[in-house]
Amino acid sequence: MKGEPVSSVYRPVAGRAGGVESIRHRAVALLCTAVIVAACGAGQRQRHAGTEEDPWIIGMSQCNLGEPWRVQMDADVREAAAEHPNLRVIFKDAQNNSLTQRAQVEEFVEQGVDLIVISPKEAAPLTAPVAEAVRQGVPVIVLDRAVQGDEYTVFIGADNVRIGRQAGKWLREALAGAGRIVELEGLMTSTPGQDRHRGFLEGLDQAANPGLEIVFTGEMQWLEPNARREMESALATNARIDAVYAHNDPGAHGAWLAARAAGREKEMLFVGIDALPHEGQQYVAQGILDATFLYPTGGAEAIATALAILNGEQVPKQIVLGTRLFTAANVAEGGEAIN
Amino acid sequence: MTAGRNTLQRWGATPVARALLALLFMLAIGCMFNAEGSFFRWSVHRDMLRQVSTFGILACGMTVVIITAGIDLSVSSILALAAVCFAWLTLPASWPAALAIPVVLTVGLALGSLSGALVARMRLQPFIVTLAMMVFARGLAKVISGGRKITNYVTDPDGTAHVVDLPRAFGTIDSRVLGGNLSIVTIVFLACVLATWVLLSRLRAGRYLYAVGGNQEAARLAGVPIRRTLILAYAYSGLLSAVAGICQAAQETQGDPETGMGYELDAIAMVVIGGTTLSGGKGSVVLTLIGVLTIGYLQKILSLNAAPEATRLMLTGAIIICAVLFQRGRGT
Repeated sequence: MKGEPVSSVYRPVAGRAGGVESIRHRAVALLCTAVIVAACGAGQRQRHAGTEEDPWIIGMSQCNLGEPWRVQMDADVREAAAEHPNLRVIFKDAQNNSLTQRAQVEEFVEQGVDLIVISPKEAAPLTAPVAEAVRQGVPVIVLDRAVQGDEYTVFIGADNVRIGRQAGKWLREALAGAGRIVELEGLMTSTPGQDRHRGFLEGLDQAANPGLEIVFTGEMQWLEPNARREMESALATNARIDAVYAHNDPGAHGAWLAARAAGREKEMLFVGIDALPHEGQQYVAQGILDATFLYPTGGAEAIATALAILNGEQVPKQIVLGTRLFTAANVAEGGEAIN
Repeated sequence: MTAGRNTLQRWGATPVARALLALLFMLAIGCMFNAEGSFFRWSVHRDMLRQVSTFGILACGMTVVIITAGIDLSVSSILALAAVCFAWLTLPASWPAALAIPVVLTVGLALGSLSGALVARMRLQPFIVTLAMMVFARGLAKVISGGRKITNYVTDPDGTAHVVDLPRAFGTIDSRVLGGNLSIVTIVFLACVLATWVLLSRLRAGRYLYAVGGNQEAARLAGVPIRRTLILAYAYSGLLSAVAGICQAAQETQGDPETGMGYELDAIAMVVIGGTTLSGGKGSVVLTLIGVLTIGYLQKILSLNAAPEATRLMLTGAIIICAVLFQRGRGT
């Protein structure tokens, strides 16, 4: 430094005099910044002690809180975390936008959380940010929907094919191998819709039970008003229906409303999926649905797994959640686990 | 003889006749693809009328706004907000429905008036104002409901929960009269059509609405109270959206903050298919009624025949264009 006034550092580069000088100053500044950033990066891991005074911080990025099932997932995480005073969870809602969710993962890494839980909106755009977080030393638990590759810490999710299969098997047994069935499908461009359909057909096993017939299929796109419309059509075109299988509980509820309006709700069984405490389980308790199958949120399991990781324990890479069957007989006891 | 034919020809060129032609075209398709004769049963038509009623109620309000050369994108969100408010007031708050209904209608009226005031007094574009209201009302619905559906499963402050009986009003609104041949919501819809017809065709305010939509400057010079007329249009649309929201909540037996997504586009399509023009100043609620039935039958026919969703979307697009062309058809 030649004792130049400090202000020369800030002279525009375009100005000829002092141009070289200011570039040199900038290079030094840049180098300093790089060193500071690197130092921060190195010190980032295990920044918190995991005690009540200095709790571990978990960042939870939810892809869309517009869906009741995802509201329930956050509630499950919150409830599980509340039992551990050495944990604090920061919740973020990506509002169904992959790029927002990507930014949230990056923010979590920058603010130095100890672990990230993400329920990604979709695989492709979130694979790289999740991998980057893992590379920076932040463990990532991926909930419900997967990311590509294997650069994450743990995946926790349920298996829609398996749940659909259980629903098919339950109906096959309830109908004693013969009956006329209406299937109300979710959004069939989505994987859950396709899987719940495929699993159902496997569980129904029509090859061995030719008496089981799907007489009407309607796509209600997870929406109750649409399910009611489709069910009205099914009722109009079928003099006898023995069972309705809807890909979610609101769909089954909409079908029941349509059947009741036609005075035919006693004629058939209603089966749904999801079994949210405020929704499907209540419909079963009130005698609207005959059965519903839990699609678990994995919220509690995520917190348990997070604690295991933070305590340095070994955890499996994949955790597949089981389902629970709720019927009038067992809904008061919290359903029955089936695998 | 010649005079008679001329009258018939002239009638055939009116917008109502053209709209009816499109509806007849749709009914003909229904007769062709009748799903093993179920299209010929009244219960199918009754169910179609029930299903289309909430859309129809929105379309009535939309007609009034479109006649002033405006647009109201907020109808679906105000519907959801009204559904949530109605469910919240009657279920967890256990108000009697007779008290809850006027409160909910006031909420719709107030939000509609706010949109109208922004359009009329601040001279903002109706598209932007109602788009903002659409987002705002949806957010408010989510705040009130806490993001959950409000059902008869009520959580107490201490965390325990119990089931309350659905108020009678829910069952009444979602029931049928005349020997089970007509849904109450359809009667509500027809009452809205009648009220809108009286407003547009029998009241001075109706003439003002057409005048403002036709040529605002000319209307101003003729002494039409522009601001009051515009506020009336959006307030009326907000009020009818709240009516539709109450019907939606009763039919779903819950207040769902996510309900009615995208209904505003259906309502606009129904108005335009009827023959009311988006440029304003022309149209009527009778045309909208025919448009509502045309779209209602289209959806019903596709559903009865269990058409796959992808086919349904393509056919809906194609048939809407056909219906509009049918309506323009001869002479132009």
